[in-house]
Amino acid sequence: MTTATRHATPTNRHAAMPTPTATDAAMTGGRDARGGLTVERVSHHYLANGRRTDVLDDVSFSVGAGQVACVVGPSGCGKSTLLGLAAGLMRPAAGRVTWNGETVRMGPTDHLGMAFQQPGLFPWMTVRENVAIGLTTRGKSRHDARRIADEFLDTVGLHEFKDAYPSQLSGGMAQRVGIARALALKPRLLLLDEPFAAVDAFTRLKLQQEFKALLKLDRPTVLFVTHDVPEAIALGDVIVVMSQRPAAVKTIIPVRREERDRASLAYAHKLAETLACLGVTSDMEGE
Amino acid sequence: MSPAARREQAISVMALGHAVGRRVLLPLVGVVIVLAIWQATVAIYRLPLIVLPPPWTVATTLADLVGTRAFWRDVGVSLYEFVAGYAIGTTLGVATGLAMGESRRFRQALTPVIESLRFIVPFAWIPLTILWFGTSYAGKIMLVAYAVYFVMTVSTARAIAHVDPTLTRVGTMLGMRPLRLALRVHLPAAMPTIASAARAAAAIGWIAVVAAEYIGASAGLGLMITNAASSLATGVVIAGMIVIGLIGAGVSAAILAIARARPSAR
Repeated sequence: MTTATRHATPTNRHAAMPTPTATDAAMTGGRDARGGLTVERVSHHYLANGRRTDVLDDVSFSVGAGQVACVVGPSGCGKSTLLGLAAGLMRPAAGRVTWNGETVRMGPTDHLGMAFQQPGLFPWMTVRENVAIGLTTRGKSRHDARRIADEFLDTVGLHEFKDAYPSQLSGGMAQRVGIARALALKPRLLLLDEPFAAVDAFTRLKLQQEFKALLKLDRPTVLFVTHDVPEAIALGDVIVVMSQRPAAVKTIIPVRREERDRASLAYAHKLAETLACLGVTSDMEGE
Repeated sequence: MSPAARREQAISVMALGHAVGRRVLLPLVGVVIVLAIWQATVAIYRLPLIVLPPPWTVATTLADLVGTRAFWRDVGVSLYEFVAGYAIGTTLGVATGLAMGESRRFRQALTPVIESLRFIVPFAWIPLTILWFGTSYAGKIMLVAYAVYFVMTVSTARAIAHVDPTLTRVGTMLGMRPLRLALRVHLPAAMPTIASAARAAAAIGWIAVVAAEYIGASAGLGLMITNAASSLATGVVIAGMIVIGLIGAGVSAAILAIARARPSAR
């Protein structure tokens, strides 16, 4: 079983790791090259009614340019907080997050695309307007924004619902609009918070495939929070395994290309290894 | 016509009858009860016309009134004062509320003023407005604006503060700066609450107009009623009161219709 010591070790470990074939291009970019995201000794807590809840405890890891890092861990362990910090939607209580070697500041940017756990669609806008508004905000003409929005709504299979209002959509459909909205921005940094959680199993697999293809086109740096380990193996170049709250990085597991084949023994091993890190044994009789 | 089609037609006629029953007949029941009590009171106590005329007399008075030019002039004056004051009050109120909802500094600076002024009811200002503006329209417009302003400011500030934080995060993520976030995300998200406050404010504003006209005006429904009262034309007084009620309900319905039309209009 792979259990790394806490604190800064995962980062070092990661850097020292023999470069996995699937991530060659990404890894050669290095940590401080364009499009790299690093989380350096970040701790965070929330205050509510005078009580302090620690969510993140000295978290460090880095994601190279164009790399996909999947964050897995027990629910409520602070994965969403991690995304919020990377997005500059909040400031860490300690430590820092950098993008392109520069500290991430609070406020709007134009390199970011993010899909939230709650899709957060604007209820007074049609589906198309919801996707297009980010593009017009970032300076695209109305006409271009509309065209790009339609294109991405086709990708997530919602072309028939372009003129619908969010209240007319199911939870899974709304989540797909949220994904389309993030992808349409063609962001350099893509943050996804359990984007396929409300989608049925079949659509989920289909979306994963299409998502993978889309990533190949623009090669953004991706931080992908999920609690679905097979999904993490299917999409991630590395899997960042988090512990219970206050969450620390337990270990970082690289994923090689051959380990993504669900019919292979390598996949079974990877699944068992990752689940073991999360404290789940693969031997069901063992309990 | 085939039997099936005939049956369908019969059903649709029945459904229509049902809808008419619910939407027209039931509300009429309440009106009939009130009129019956009114008529009975007049009959039992043998009330003279100058104390309380029976419904039918008031109805004919109202019909006569509607035929006169002076009546429409009074309605026009009251409505003008209301609409002008309401427009000023809601615009300024929503703007102030938005600023208070967006900026903590603004909120901290304005809250004491707003909180102390909003409990001075508009009617308390009537003597001062007469002193300052006489019986002109300006005094009434100011009074309506004042009455509406505080309702709109407080409701808007609260609605903005309660906008789903996810929407704010989404706006920021999309690259919106604070001003754009306020106008494109927070304001539309708060619109349903603001619209219902606007309806409540309309009622308050309309009441303020009429009340101000009762006390000092050169024209308007309030003046029409006080004049009628001083010449003991009780029928006109009651007819005027009914007109005030009907216009108030009409204004409220109009604002509701505007608010409902908005979301799909874009």
